[in-house]
Amino acid sequence: MTARSLQSGAPARERAATPSTWSRIWQNDAPGYLFLLPWLIGFIGLTVGPMVTSLYLSFTDFDLLTSPDWVGADNYIRMFTNDAKFWTSMRVTMFFVIFSVPLKLAFALAVAMLLNRGIRGLPLYRALFYLPSLLGASVAIAILWRQIFAGDGLVNKLLLLVGIEGPSWISNPQYSLWTLIVLSIWQFGSPMIIFLAGLRQIPTDMYEAASLDGASKWRQFVKITLPLLTPVVFFNAIIQTIEAFKSFTPAFIISGGTGNPINSTLFYTLYLYQEAFAFFRMGYASALAWVLLAVVGVFTAFSFFTSKYWVHYDE
Amino acid sequence: MTIRIDRRHFLMGSSALIAAGAAGISPAFAQAERLRMLFWGGQARADRTYAVTDLYQAAKGTDVEGEFLAWNDYWPKLATQTAGGNAPDIIQMDYRYIVEYAQRNAIAPLDEFVGGALKLDDFDADQLEGGKVDGSLYGISLGANSVALMVNTTAFEEAGVAAPTRDLTYDEIMAMGEAFNSANVRGGMKVIMDGSGSEPMLDNWLRQKGLALYTADGKLGFDADAMTEWFQLWSQMREAGVCVSAEDQALDTGPHETTMLVLGKAAMMPSNSNQLVGFQAVMQDDITISSYPRLAAGVGGGHYRKPSMFFSVAGSSANKEAAAEFLSFFVNDPEAAAVLGVERGIPCSAAVRDAIAPTLSEQDQIALNFVANLGDLLGPLPPSPPAAAGEIDISLLRTLSQEVGFGARSPEDAGPYFVTEATAILNRA
Amino acid sequence: MSDVPAKLTVVTGKGSPGRSRLTSLLIHLGLLAASVVMLYPLLWLLAASFRPENEIFTSASILPSVWSIDSYIRGWNGLRTSFGVFFTNSFIISGLSVIGNVMACSMAAYAFARLDFRFKNFWFAMMLLTLMLPYQVTLIPQYVLFRQLGWVNTFLPLVVPKFLAADGFFIFLMVQFFRGLPKELDEAAQMDGCSPWRIYWKIIIPLSMPVLATAAIFTFIWTWDDFFGPLIYLSEMKSYTVMLGLRTFTDSTGESDYGGLFAMSVLSLVPIFLFFLFFQRLLIEGIATTGMKR
Repeated sequence: MTARSLQSGAPARERAATPSTWSRIWQNDAPGYLFLLPWLIGFIGLTVGPMVTSLYLSFTDFDLLTSPDWVGADNYIRMFTNDAKFWTSMRVTMFFVIFSVPLKLAFALAVAMLLNRGIRGLPLYRALFYLPSLLGASVAIAILWRQIFAGDGLVNKLLLLVGIEGPSWISNPQYSLWTLIVLSIWQFGSPMIIFLAGLRQIPTDMYEAASLDGASKWRQFVKITLPLLTPVVFFNAIIQTIEAFKSFTPAFIISGGTGNPINSTLFYTLYLYQEAFAFFRMGYASALAWVLLAVVGVFTAFSFFTSKYWVHYDE
Repeated sequence: MTIRIDRRHFLMGSSALIAAGAAGISPAFAQAERLRMLFWGGQARADRTYAVTDLYQAAKGTDVEGEFLAWNDYWPKLATQTAGGNAPDIIQMDYRYIVEYAQRNAIAPLDEFVGGALKLDDFDADQLEGGKVDGSLYGISLGANSVALMVNTTAFEEAGVAAPTRDLTYDEIMAMGEAFNSANVRGGMKVIMDGSGSEPMLDNWLRQKGLALYTADGKLGFDADAMTEWFQLWSQMREAGVCVSAEDQALDTGPHETTMLVLGKAAMMPSNSNQLVGFQAVMQDDITISSYPRLAAGVGGGHYRKPSMFFSVAGSSANKEAAAEFLSFFVNDPEAAAVLGVERGIPCSAAVRDAIAPTLSEQDQIALNFVANLGDLLGPLPPSPPAAAGEIDISLLRTLSQEVGFGARSPEDAGPYFVTEATAILNRA
Repeated sequence: MSDVPAKLTVVTGKGSPGRSRLTSLLIHLGLLAASVVMLYPLLWLLAASFRPENEIFTSASILPSVWSIDSYIRGWNGLRTSFGVFFTNSFIISGLSVIGNVMACSMAAYAFARLDFRFKNFWFAMMLLTLMLPYQVTLIPQYVLFRQLGWVNTFLPLVVPKFLAADGFFIFLMVQFFRGLPKELDEAAQMDGCSPWRIYWKIIIPLSMPVLATAAIFTFIWTWDDFFGPLIYLSEMKSYTVMLGLRTFTDSTGESDYGGLFAMSVLSLVPIFLFFLFFQRLLIEGIATTGMKR
């Protein structure tokens, strides 16, 4: 096997020119499409149709029970000019994204680093830390969160020990969104596992070499771990952001699908769900969905654009 | 080396799964003539319902395949199946959605079967009326119930306060609340939850004033002043500590385990007569039901016997007559009635009611007696609510009551705001 | 550090033995404290499943006053179909999903990460786009589609998309990992005349066990936990999944069986936890342990 030096982890921004082995064009394309085939079949056969349909529905008035009526851009116009709840839900979601994603990622990375050390009982800890994520959308979580964050909950009992009388965090509109942010961070299992898998892919001999050279641990982290981990960091950041924008379940189970108190946890997709299935406005809900797609799409495109400058692939 | 072994394990595991999957992946769904039925409810309801479908199969030979879901899961599934042209033949329907489904022909008018496949001779007139939309019969009421206060009698004993009777008034609640507070029951239990966001309670209060939530032509049946007065009434109770705080009330998101009653924060809460059993099951204190409070002594007419739920037949069903026949069996057959009890509400046929009365449990008896003896509390059946009623309840009334509760809006401001917004929602739908 | 198996060792610098023991102790204490926070819900759930029904929401103590396994017996057989059937269904769906997802997504990811073909960026963008649209609005068109295919009321709508790599999450995940593998390996293999298929099968897959295990774990757990798909597509109790079964225990409008819910919730966690424990072993087999010593 070819030896790889320390520098190979450093940026190699230029894409390799056309590979030499497959020079002819059709030979160049065929293998790629062959490997892509299952996905292509699924995409064209199962995914595109419903997506395009929902785009069409966003220009209609569709009550689910009778056939859709074309209304042009009415849904979009209403959304931006005459729908306070649209802006409320957008604001709630933005706030959630801005605070939950970085905190969750930082937490997940820190714990993954900690668990990547050679310590005893590693598999056990890893499993324990993944437990909250296993619980998913269980009713138990809603009950538990109330026991922790209600007025007479665990948090306030602890605060009382230092003489502070706390509010009912979960049902006070000023703080309720924060309890959902905490919930999201608490379920940090999946980014943690992905970070761990990423850390595992970094060859140990690179650290051995570095530590022989007398590099400090912090320096190893900055010079080896971080650069080699950037593809995974990038992935987690993009995915967690998309997921946070689409976040539905936590608010749904904690607020019983209402987004209350006073719409303080009315996530965008929760509002969309209400419009679609509680108020029979699938056309409007579809328009909401495509606006979300545009927002998330712009964000993702921007991230890909900047990734050239900080994500290091071995190519 | 380890990889190799692991992969072989992996492949062995997967081929076993494929073998298992091949057997189970497409169960044979080919079947003879049968009806599909979808209903919401818990296990207790399902057990009774399936017992009736078994009886029906034994009697008539028609197989009724029932599927049940929790309330929250029921509506998306029904909407999806209906939109996908795959609605079940028999659909359990709620008062709130019947207009929506009827006006869009998602459920079928049943008038043509009445007297034939569908025997309703003995049926209570108000319950029959409740299943009509624009003059046609779209739903067969499966039982009547009434709004009722759940009362924690153990807590009342602890407070040294006499439990409420059917003559309870809003003023008396104020007095009870003060007695509760001075007795300091269980570290601050209040006498009642904050009912300002409860649509049935508002409805009941309006009806006692001779108003209505909605008029027959689907407009708002009251003005901004009435709404302001409603919010003021509850603000007064909140400030006096008679009802629970806004923070506590906001913990209630619908399920039983989030209610002020079960959480032990209030000794009374507005609910329905048929939910006594459900609440008692998750509580250690003794509970009973009583009527909603009166505006003043002697004022009644707020309650009505509401169809707790209906069975409707899908507009797309190919077996409407067979479905109607099953419905007839479901509400009339004595054996079926004995199985069903009052789980879905008080049966609408007098003969059935008499037949099952002796077989009921204590709590069921309480519910039956309550609904049967409303007396002067009973008023006329209101018209079916307009399709937008659900949206006004969920996204306006509840949110607004919280805004007032948390002090984000004054009652004087909230009253006119409610009327403006509700009218806008009604006009949009 | 000598007590640690060699293949787990990551060199952690050179502290004195005493200091490293202290550090290690502190880390364990910290981890244990954190574990308690993570475990609390499970303990609560476990306790609730052994409680009498009327004590679940009204008792302040974490320990039940009486321990009873009634909830388990009632829950297992309480629904018209035994929970054993639901478990079997969930196993079939989740198991097939794992196989489908790992195969189809790794193939697509290999194409995106390592092969060149026209419109690659376009397809990649499309793949990401499918991640961004909330599923609530494609649900009904998709239902109509599967109904036309005659797949409603079978497991097919839940399983076939997995074999067609419908979840872009896993493709994107694997792309990021494949791109991190040294490219010299492919190039060397190409020189030796290896086909893309052989490179994929002999080099990429064996070197990607951590990410494949990750994908397997997530697929299994997420499919197991999913209820919306099964809710919409499965209409007969005998084809219900565990999650769907769990949701029928409670109904906000009538009587609920919370004891049964919590008891079966505990049981439903067992398979996914075991699956996690089993597959996480593969997570640790990174490049460092696959004979790629350089």
